[in-house]
Formats: sequence, structure tokens, C-alpha cells
Amino acid sequence: MWAEEYFRHKLWLNEKGIIFAFTGYLSEELLFSLGDALRKKMALEETDANVAKRVFSVFVEQAQNVIRYSADRVEGETAQSALSGQRVEFSSGLVAVANSENGFSVVCGNVIDAAHVERLRTRLDQLAAMDKNEIRSYYKEKLRAGPDEDSKGASLGLIEIARRSTRPIRYDFIEAAPGQAFYCLEAYV
Amino acid sequence: MSECEVTAPGQGYPAAVSMRKDLSMPVISQQATERSPEVEFDPSGGRLSLRGESYPEDAAGFFGPLLGALREHLDGTDPENRIEVDIELSYFNSSSAKALMNMFQLLEEAAAAGRSVHIAWRYHADDDTMAEFGEDFSEDFEHAAFTLCPSED
Repeated sequence: MWAEEYFRHKLWLNEKGIIFAFTGYLSEELLFSLGDALRKKMALEETDANVAKRVFSVFVEQAQNVIRYSADRVEGETAQSALSGQRVEFSSGLVAVANSENGFSVVCGNVIDAAHVERLRTRLDQLAAMDKNEIRSYYKEKLRAGPDEDSKGASLGLIEIARRSTRPIRYDFIEAAPGQAFYCLEAYV
Repeated sequence: MSECEVTAPGQGYPAAVSMRKDLSMPVISQQATERSPEVEFDPSGGRLSLRGESYPEDAAGFFGPLLGALREHLDGTDPENRIEVDIELSYFNSSSAKALMNMFQLLEEAAAAGRSVHIAWRYHADDDTMAEFGEDFSEDFEHAAFTLCPSED
């Protein structure tokens, strides 16, 4: 019977039009491999080059946001990584790409510190309310300015996602555990 | 000659200027990887180029040495030495965009200080994203020449 549970999970993904989904500990290496598979799949289906590029761009920024900002992280040295003096880092979350007659959508999800919800929500509300030209100007403005405090990127990633999205981005936060929220962001191409 | 044409190293440079080569600076030459562009920087020849895709794991770490060498070159050489920059990227992520902006700011400052700076922004004519980025970056240049160079092939 256990296969049935996985089958239902697979059917649920199919119903959502999800062509691939990754859940678990994500790394930069996985981002590269998943992104490569995504591009090849789109090329096989002769997806318009500009659409494919936008989907890929949203995917990279979404996956990098999970890697950089997920509150569920493991890092350390393995016997192997210690040889080259490197650390191994993984961040837990999910990334999924769906395709339907309406186009593509890219979703990411991860847990964040509940204390960061309001600030992130304010940023996303701001982006979702902007039209194409406003987002483009805002991107330029942020590009010229220095990075925000306690943001590892220039917070440009979210603006890039909103800029490539053909419809306003969708997002939600739910309580995941005491002090932690599960955050989801979806963009459409 | 069109501003998008590629000049051979040294070509089109007055002899007096090419004599004033800055031989103390090393040439940066890095091959492209799956996630990072080919980088060529020859300070004495006044040439810098980036080609490929850019979404390295650590964009600041990747671009840091190039930006450092460029800054050192621009600060340490006679402004009479012109610089030709060739950018031909088909994709870059937001962290790389930030690094490009930092590089363009250095170049614009050098141009404002009297150096001849030319940047060619090369992209496929059908590539909407790179065309738009080129237009956006071009607005930041007042002194440096920034040319959009779409190609059909």
C-alpha cells in the first residue's frame, strides 16, 4: 500500500502540471543540474528561446533564494571536502516547474524565521503591485544602490523574478513551527 | 569603422599610446566554465572581454579579482591609454548583474576623468532580455561610449 501514497503524490503533481519538482536539501550543484535538465527539456519541446530564458532565469533566482535564505540549513566539513578546505552546504526547500497551455510557472518554498515574514511580505506586496515599467525602473534603482542590510544579494533576485513574470507574482506564508513560517513564491512565464 | 567591429589587438591605437604599455600588470585570462564566462583582460593592450553565461555560485568572489585588477589599472595608468570592453553574455543572474554594474561604474568614472572608454554590448538580435539589459545599462553612461551590438548569427 505504501506505493499508493507516492502514486497519489505523483498524481497530485501531475494535476498541477508540474514537470519536475525537487524537495529536500538543495545545493548549488543541484541547482546547476536541475537547471540544465530544465533547459534541455524546454529545448526538446522547442520552447520559444525568449520564454525558455525567462523560465531559466526565474528558476535560478528562486533556487538561489532557497539556498541563501532557507532557515533549515546544514553545513559542515566532510572527510572529502576537508581535503580541499571546503565546506559542504545544503538548504532545505522545494523548487517546482509546471507547464500548461497557459505557460510555465516556477514555485519555490522554504521555511524562514517568523521574524522575517513581515519585511519579506512588504517587499513582495510592493513588487506585485508594480507594472512592467515600474519593476524595470526599480531593478535599475536597486542595481545602482548598495546591497540591503542583512541581504546576501542585492535583493535584486526577487525583483528579477517579478520582472520576468508575465503575471503578478503569487506568494503566501503559513506557520510551520513555533517561530518559523513556510514561505512560497510563484512566478509565471 | 563601425563601433561594433572587433579590432585586432593594437590595431587603431596611435603608436605613441601603444608605446606607453603598462607591463607591470598581469593579463587575466580565464576559460569559461558551465556557470561562468570567459574572461580576458589585457591592461597593456587596453582590452577587456567577457563571453558566455554568468551565474557563478559566488558572483562577488568570481568578479572580485577582475574588478580589483581593472581598478588598479585605471588608477595606475595614464588616462591617455584607452580601453575597449567587449561584453557578450547570453545569460547572467542578478548577482552577476550587480558585478557588471560595479564594473561599468569604474569604467564611467575613468571616462569622466578623461580616459577614452568604449564598451560594446553584444547580443543576439532575437534576445529580448539581453537587448533590454543593454538599453538599461546604456542609460548610466555619460562619458564612456556604450554601443549596442545586436548580431544575426
